[in-house]
Amino acid sequence: MIIGEQKPLDEIQGLLEDAEKVLVVGCGTCVTVCFAGGSREAQILSSSLRMSSKLNGHPQDVSDVTVQRQCEWEYLDEIEKEVAEADIILSLACGIGVQAMAKHFPEKWVVPGLNTTFLGIPVEQGIWEERCAACGDCVLGLTGGICPIARCSKSLLNGPCGGSEDGHCEIDPDIPCAWQLIYDRLTAMGREDNLLELQPPKNWQVSRDGGPRKIIREDLRLISDELES
Amino acid sequence: MSTEADQIQIIAYCCQHCAYAAADLAGGLRMQYSPSVKIVELPCSGRMDVIALLEALEQGADGILVAG
Repeated sequence: MIIGEQKPLDEIQGLLEDAEKVLVVGCGTCVTVCFAGGSREAQILSSSLRMSSKLNGHPQDVSDVTVQRQCEWEYLDEIEKEVAEADIILSLACGIGVQAMAKHFPEKWVVPGLNTTFLGIPVEQGIWEERCAACGDCVLGLTGGICPIARCSKSLLNGPCGGSEDGHCEIDPDIPCAWQLIYDRLTAMGREDNLLELQPPKNWQVSRDGGPRKIIREDLRLISDELES
Repeated sequence: MSTEADQIQIIAYCCQHCAYAAADLAGGLRMQYSPSVKIVELPCSGRMDVIALLEALEQGADGILVAG
């Protein structure tokens, strides 16, 4: 899932400075399950903003609403009325949701309440770790289900490097060395021979190095380009 | 006659099994406590929620007591 983290209240207040009527919009999907921008967080933040703005001497009218997914137009239609009444929208979605709101409601100023941090997993209650870098060319089939792109600090394809010490990464002793994890996993599965195969340089063009990415599935489209033109 | 201290509003969220029952017993024994304290009975103090807490503060409570 996409993992986000709420911005500090001071920063959020700065983004909302001149507004009188604020609409906090939560998102019911990824940021709900990582406790950053769901309905609960939207209610708590609204209340905090109402009280802090009152204490600052410029009380703001802050209300909140949460949609199932901010990254799909259909769900945004549902809050058209609430959005119309607000001066500014504080989106508690990931960066995708914030951009969807800005695109869908072009006459409104939309600001982010979260920092979108990574694609990851809750490894235990209250702890999230990065697991995928969305590189566009998955190598998990070679590495026993442990991603060297997201989990190795250098994204090495033929690791480990000399900075691997007692199974940990040189950048932080709390970070496990991804290549140690891969070695242990392949050994346990009797597939350590995978490590003898040198991996050629990866095609980063399908990652961010190729610019913004786009997928077109003609089999799913309702109107094809040919019909449109 | 009300004093300044009585004007303070303290919302006490009490578990029905212990703190609320204790307050009930105190009442039965005619023990006095400040009228500033307003008791809200909860099925369990674990039911206490930060949203309810913030709502009480927003509506003018000066302090919150969670007892259970």
